[in-house]
Amino acid sequence: MIFDDSLATQIRMCAACPKMCRHVCPTFFAWRSDAPTPHGRALLIHQEITGSREIDERGIEILYQCLECSHCLTFCIPEIDIATIVELRRKEIVSEGRRPEGLNDMAKAIEKYHNPYSELHESRNDWLELKKSGGKNLLYFTGCTAAYREKEIASDTVELLESLGHEVSISSEEWCCGSPLIRTGDAEFGLELAQHNIEMLNASEAEEIIVTCPGCYRVLTRDYPDYDLKLNKPVKHISQVLEEQIDNLPVDKFEGSITFHDSCHLGRHCDIYDEPRKVIEKVSGAPLVEMERTRDNAMCCGNGAGLRTLFPEKAKKIGAERVRQAKNTGANFLVTSCPFCKNMLKSQSGEDLTVLDLPEMVLMAKRGRKANID
Amino acid sequence: MLLLDSKTKKKLYDRLVSIVGEEHVTQQETDRVLNAHDCWPLSEAKIRAGELLPLADMIVFPASSEEVSQILIVANDLEIPVIPVGGGAGTCGGTLAIYGGIQLDLKRMVKIFEIDHESMTVKVEAGVMGIDLEEEVNRHGYTMGHTPTSLRASNVGGFIATRSGGSLSSLYGKIEDLTLGLQVVLPNGSIVECKSVPRHSVGPDLRQLFIGSEGVLGIITEATLRLFLIPEERRFRSFSFPDVHSGLEAIRNIFRIEITPSIVRLYDPEDAAMAFSMHFEFEEGHCMLLLGFDGDVAQNDIDENKAVKICSDYGGTDHGEAPAKRWWDHRYNMYYPSRLTTSGFAIGDTIDIVATYDKLENVYHAMKEAMEAHDVVVMSHFSHMYQNGGSIYMIFFSSQPDAETAWATYRKVWDDGVAACLREGGTMSHQHGVGLTRSTYTEDELGSSFQVLKLIKEVLDPKGIMNPGKLGLGVRK
Repeated sequence: MIFDDSLATQIRMCAACPKMCRHVCPTFFAWRSDAPTPHGRALLIHQEITGSREIDERGIEILYQCLECSHCLTFCIPEIDIATIVELRRKEIVSEGRRPEGLNDMAKAIEKYHNPYSELHESRNDWLELKKSGGKNLLYFTGCTAAYREKEIASDTVELLESLGHEVSISSEEWCCGSPLIRTGDAEFGLELAQHNIEMLNASEAEEIIVTCPGCYRVLTRDYPDYDLKLNKPVKHISQVLEEQIDNLPVDKFEGSITFHDSCHLGRHCDIYDEPRKVIEKVSGAPLVEMERTRDNAMCCGNGAGLRTLFPEKAKKIGAERVRQAKNTGANFLVTSCPFCKNMLKSQSGEDLTVLDLPEMVLMAKRGRKANID
Repeated sequence: MLLLDSKTKKKLYDRLVSIVGEEHVTQQETDRVLNAHDCWPLSEAKIRAGELLPLADMIVFPASSEEVSQILIVANDLEIPVIPVGGGAGTCGGTLAIYGGIQLDLKRMVKIFEIDHESMTVKVEAGVMGIDLEEEVNRHGYTMGHTPTSLRASNVGGFIATRSGGSLSSLYGKIEDLTLGLQVVLPNGSIVECKSVPRHSVGPDLRQLFIGSEGVLGIITEATLRLFLIPEERRFRSFSFPDVHSGLEAIRNIFRIEITPSIVRLYDPEDAAMAFSMHFEFEEGHCMLLLGFDGDVAQNDIDENKAVKICSDYGGTDHGEAPAKRWWDHRYNMYYPSRLTTSGFAIGDTIDIVATYDKLENVYHAMKEAMEAHDVVVMSHFSHMYQNGGSIYMIFFSSQPDAETAWATYRKVWDDGVAACLREGGTMSHQHGVGLTRSTYTEDELGSSFQVLKLIKEVLDPKGIMNPGKLGLGVRK
């Protein structure tokens, strides 16, 4: 049994809880049923542990509807981490060969192209334009979304770091960090990617590794050590780097107010809440307008842990709700600090809300260009 | 459980799909398992023990009153049980499909219509969650005044179907006081409107026929609810008393001079020790009274001063705001499972009775004695207090070595607790409802008036399809 007594007790408690966290579960929001909920998932696993009922194909589907956003944990006084429990059970599902087909396709894509988007590995750094040498050498681990789907974030990050006096390097040997696989239970293949990346990262002469993707950040700082793989240099999220150099950041007035979306991986999973906020407020010279659900109570964008791959319409429904919450603040700009969140939120934002990732927002200030003429 | 034959099941499924679409009907066993239970402590204990609960044959998720109507026409035609499901947060097993059939789940009906600022009302669909509604009206400066512990999980349809009450009910009232208009779909598919008016004199109040009907007469699909301005302040005060009697006398006399606190909770010595002794110093064996006052500062000054004098006159010791405020700030915490309350075959529940002041203390002592006879821990608090009486939360907790003994003890505590309550002139529920827990006691509780309920049921639901086995009606062999 993959669940020891302590976890089995937690699962048992969650399975029969009077649904104290369900109101914030994004998949409950999307489906409006008690099945895709934290206690629903716990009940499936609890029944399996007690031997009263096996998990069938529909059960697997429900386990794969979890975004692993951990919003439920914010409302859980006994602190039952259902996202981690789901991920543990997903690992078994993968080893049983019962993973949903859509994720098998994703794994094949990563195997063949080293990214989940089935884009050629050779084109990974097509966006790259390095200009500066000298200064602190930072290795930018781009992440697949910035490299292939949000190239502006990648190029803006490089330009920004160079403008702050750093020398930026990018590796042609960067592969998917493994996050999409690890979060969906394919720890074995995740480990292969981790070993490859660790070798490449440790061989680099850079002083620090910089990431813009919180999924990469979590994997590099939490999952790789769990695999007993050690990086020989620190990993920093771009929001931390910018906050460290806050006095050197450009300042410009933005036309309209700014709200901020906390990425689940950066916020709830890695406890980074203040750094991006400090950066935004410094750069814009104005206080953020917070959404009602913010920081550890922030709603997920809907993009995580395979949901967008398997259930795109539900993922978009969650993204649209998060955009609605942002618009309720009256803000003109929605800034996030995650290329994957940005990608989802922008796809649902319409014309009246400009969605930016943090480096894009800072660079916009540097260029003195307003969003409406950008 | 009555099993549907495969031909009827297919016919039913096809007809439901034609109404709501394939995405919103499920026959999958996993969905039926995960949607089966509400928050009845016996269901929760059985789940923990690895037992399986009775399942519906299918679940349907309508999006409108019209769809509810069409579903009921089909169910009535095929004579299939229909169990309405709100948030699935009830504590009495009211949504368990004990005879199979269709669980009609209202969670997709989540419209909040525009607030009527002039009349201070809001119209909503039945599936709107309590927390979502409260947050929405808060944005406009209002409160619903309805704050049950289940607020995050329960919805408007469930509130009304169970005659629910919140912790501020002394001031704002229960859901039957807060519901001005109602839309109900009858088993024959008729969509019935009870107009939203503050009072009327046009025969019996038909809204009240459906408020608390627990799905046995029809399905509540929309309601118009009252709103209150968010009070300028909520002020807290706490007193300990040497015994239940003196504390109750203080409460009775506060209401007697028409002071209406929002919060009035008197914890008996056992419950006070459990809830407060870890955090506050007070004499062992004493009770703790929590008071809350909602309003403007000047009015709260007046009310609080008068209440303080009454509490002192009846032997109360002042503990300031801290115990009451702490309870308010942590009021949801006790509802979470803990290792202690969920280990082995542990099971606890609350018999939330209500009585007038002349009987209340006798009911308390009689119930406590009857329940403790089964070797269970009993602790109680008086809350939801009014001018003429109030409620007691008779809480019990039992831990037994095996499932059979645990479930049997649970039932005996209920049987004897309710019998003692009725013998002393109390009423067996203030706000939780009847569901399955109390179904078999309903006839004794209502006495001669039970025949009225039975006759109404026979007229409105002649085929007995609506939530059979609940509210003492439609029990099948």
